[in-house]
Amino acid sequence: MMSVSSSFAHMGIAEIHAGLANKEFSAKELTTSVLSNIEENDKDIHSFLEVTPDLAMASAEVVDARIAKGEFEQAGILAGIPIGYKDNMNLIGTHTTCSSNMLEGYVSPYTATCVQRTIDAGAIPIGKLNMDEFAFGSSTETSAFGPTLNPWDTQRVPGGSSGGSAAAVAAGLVPVTLGSDTGGSIRQPASFCGVIGVKPTYGMVSRYGIVAFGSSLDQVGPFSRNVHDAAVCLNAISGHDPLDCTSQDIKTDFTVGLDRGVEGMRIGYVPAFLEAQGLTPEVRRKIEEVIDKLREAGAELVEIELPNAKAAISAYYVLGPCEAFSNLARFDSVRYGFCDPGHADMGGQYEASRAKGFGDEARRRIMLGSYLLSSGVYDTYYYPAQQVRTLITEDYLRAYEKVDCIIAPCAPRTAFKFGEIADPTQMYLADMFTISINIAGNGGMSVPIGLGDETGLPIGAQLICPAFKDETMLRVAAALERIYGPAEVAPAFALNSDKE
Amino acid sequence: MQTLENVLRKWEPVIGLEIHTELTTLETKMFCGCKLEFGAEPNTNTCPVCLGLPGALPVPNKAAIESIVLAGLATNCEIEKDTMFYRKNYMYPDMAKNFQTTQGPLAFCMRGHLDLEIDGKGADERYGIDDVKVGESFENITRCEGGYVAHVGITRIHMEEDAGKMVHIGGSEGRIAGATHSLVDYNRAGTPLMELVTEPDLRTPEEARRFMQKLRQIYLTLGISNCSMEEGSMRCDGNISLRRRGTHELGTKTELKNLNSFKSLHDGLMYEILRQADVLDEGGVIYQETRHWDPSAKRTIVMRVKETADDYRLFPEPDLAPYHLSDEFIERVRAKLPELPDEMAARIKDAYGLSAYDASHLVEHRATASLFDAAASLIPDDASASQRALVAKQLANFIINDVTAWLNAEPDVDLASSPLTPERLFELSMLLVDETISSKQAKEVFTAIIDEDKDPREIVAERGMEQVSDAGAIEAVIDSILAENPDKVDQYRGGKTGLIGFFVGQCMKAMQGQGNPKLINEMLEKKLSE
Repeated sequence: MMSVSSSFAHMGIAEIHAGLANKEFSAKELTTSVLSNIEENDKDIHSFLEVTPDLAMASAEVVDARIAKGEFEQAGILAGIPIGYKDNMNLIGTHTTCSSNMLEGYVSPYTATCVQRTIDAGAIPIGKLNMDEFAFGSSTETSAFGPTLNPWDTQRVPGGSSGGSAAAVAAGLVPVTLGSDTGGSIRQPASFCGVIGVKPTYGMVSRYGIVAFGSSLDQVGPFSRNVHDAAVCLNAISGHDPLDCTSQDIKTDFTVGLDRGVEGMRIGYVPAFLEAQGLTPEVRRKIEEVIDKLREAGAELVEIELPNAKAAISAYYVLGPCEAFSNLARFDSVRYGFCDPGHADMGGQYEASRAKGFGDEARRRIMLGSYLLSSGVYDTYYYPAQQVRTLITEDYLRAYEKVDCIIAPCAPRTAFKFGEIADPTQMYLADMFTISINIAGNGGMSVPIGLGDETGLPIGAQLICPAFKDETMLRVAAALERIYGPAEVAPAFALNSDKE
Repeated sequence: MQTLENVLRKWEPVIGLEIHTELTTLETKMFCGCKLEFGAEPNTNTCPVCLGLPGALPVPNKAAIESIVLAGLATNCEIEKDTMFYRKNYMYPDMAKNFQTTQGPLAFCMRGHLDLEIDGKGADERYGIDDVKVGESFENITRCEGGYVAHVGITRIHMEEDAGKMVHIGGSEGRIAGATHSLVDYNRAGTPLMELVTEPDLRTPEEARRFMQKLRQIYLTLGISNCSMEEGSMRCDGNISLRRRGTHELGTKTELKNLNSFKSLHDGLMYEILRQADVLDEGGVIYQETRHWDPSAKRTIVMRVKETADDYRLFPEPDLAPYHLSDEFIERVRAKLPELPDEMAARIKDAYGLSAYDASHLVEHRATASLFDAAASLIPDDASASQRALVAKQLANFIINDVTAWLNAEPDVDLASSPLTPERLFELSMLLVDETISSKQAKEVFTAIIDEDKDPREIVAERGMEQVSDAGAIEAVIDSILAENPDKVDQYRGGKTGLIGFFVGQCMKAMQGQGNPKLINEMLEKKLSE
């Protein structure tokens, strides 16, 4: 019999807020419990790279002080809500390593806008979460500090790159976390861990302070165990940031309309996706079931085509590495980060430090990007990839003339075992259904729709929406939540579980 | 080395310039809110953005884009309404992100030109100029009185960010060779930088120097930079190659660095023309390389050899959206264009009947141009054209000679707040024009204005300088001098007219130097010939 998980492990924002407002518990009690739960249980899954107890307790005290003064209403929409951040998000005074030896020991001198916005909304920063190195990967296996384990089956990966963010929520360690998604890095781990994961429309959330991977593709979003919590979190972090000129001035209350249901909505699906090679039968059956259920719930299901989506992975593995090559050039060992000293010349230090500081996948993408951008090669790859990007974006725009939202598989399969996929190009296929959404800059999210009938592991359905219409996919997600129920804490971490 | 004349007979120099100018008059850097300040404590004006820290993002400085559009409009460029920023990827410790944010194939300003007036000795550098008649055109030049006008194309002016500054310690003179370590100051990192690239239309070092002077004059008039070549806020690289006269294919070029004064720009290019000619005439090969002009040794030395073109892996900067300039924005900027030096020269030439030479020299510096303008505006409206011209010419003389000499001697003087106000300069000129004082006295008064901060009339009165131009008074003096020297009068009338100097001197002496020498001269001549 394992130690009892925190009694707060199942709680979402609404329950915590009710408890705080009714003085059933204080923010400090909540935080203490959450921290000890992490202490007790995170060793089994290794989702946190750094826990920030001092910062958490100080934040909790602020919330308690406001409650004592009767100002709970003004304490912010995330008041007292424990939150974790993917380790590519700067939070002043904490380590920001991107799970890379290159940044081991690096302490952030400033705070990312999205992180600051959660803190401004009263959230309690609990710590930083494991990820694939610099977000390159779909399993969190490339983390230089050891992988995160899937709370549903610790023999299996949690997905990635935001594996720590998904696993922490699935294990009930925190109710919400933030992750980032460049090609599926929020949605795929959400699917593998059976939680909600939202990749908002590009430009919805500021990227300022997020260590960049693919600047034109990266977007920050929340993980949670229910749709409402994700919407509240989006309310807190979205909107224009003067420090990120790609962020848009959009003010939407994402909690409005969640209960409206799907009646009268036109929801598209892509038959070709269901026939796609690599999609496992159990995932296919689940998605077909969801399509039926949405129809039963009153939506009009419409067949659509995204003819160019098949080129998305190819385009992505040109554009992504090109941007990554350039974004990661700053890690040169001179002013911060890993340094291999003692070289006679600057070039020698650069070369050795980068060779030793970056892991295999990071070096692979840097070399790939460097090659793809070189003169003579640029026109063959980068330029056509941009053209493909335009075509895919147009595919989606055409589809949205007919539908309000699209339902698709998220990951092609359930969580795989550690080491199961060794070939990088096979690993890249983990994002086959998610990448085109980043390419087009649309919103996408993963909603848990139960367990696979073969593997018994969580499966997520992907909802995709037009740019800056993220409330539509949240509305469909809420409808599915009413059908399938909110995300569960993984059994081994659930209250009164019999974990060995 | 051969003489330039010999070289030019056989070889045609082809010169293009790349001119970097920091927008020093702006408040903040190109992509962040850090203060722009020259000479601050190292690494005090920095932030995550200009330090290239992980996660930081750029936000373009609109005021900088307004400045470059101004520069483009002032140099006859077409303004591109839709452009993008690009990343130029290369690793160097002064480049915080290890890429420079710059512009791609399309810059904000494209396809401009400047017309250069080359006169005096500088015109002789242009081969074959003597064979062209005034008013005739040849290649990109038009012959005019005393020189020629060269039409020089501007390929583009693009916006980018400056790098940090490296200081090498332990080597000689702060050079990297022999240094034990290097320090980097990122205060300069992210400074808005404009790069202007000319077409290879320049043919002589003098044309290159004139281009740089003229561009600097324009930028100063626009107020977009302090254009200090010494502090490095305006820097020029020269690309130069020779081709056999009469052929069109370009030869291999070298790139000259450290041309950080007008003299260095001219002399460095001149040296390089002669050096390349020597190499080529001996059957040698010019290597594509970067060379450093050493002004003390008066030669260029190799910095690095470029075997292949650098591959900067340029691609569109994904952190910055494509930049659109609206017609309204461009028109708003156009409305802010001040009167440019060429326009001012044309205006004052017409308004005051000045020579082209005087007009172009008056507008060479903003401060002196404004002084002239303000002083000349004090000429009464009812003055006749010839009176205006007389006063204006006097003002021009003061500015081109005395003021320029003074400012050269004391470069720190701020003319606008100096004792030499437009009112005083105008008054001084009037004193000279109406012959109250002599030109020699005027020089004394000019110095006194600056030293004593007083009005010219006050100085003249204090020093009892008023020139006597009263014909009656002068006549009385002349009469008495002639009466005192009857023998000399006879000699003069007998043909020894050189004695006029003696009579003038005697009169001046009698009038304690305050007699109007011109009037005395005229009246004496008249009296003596009676």
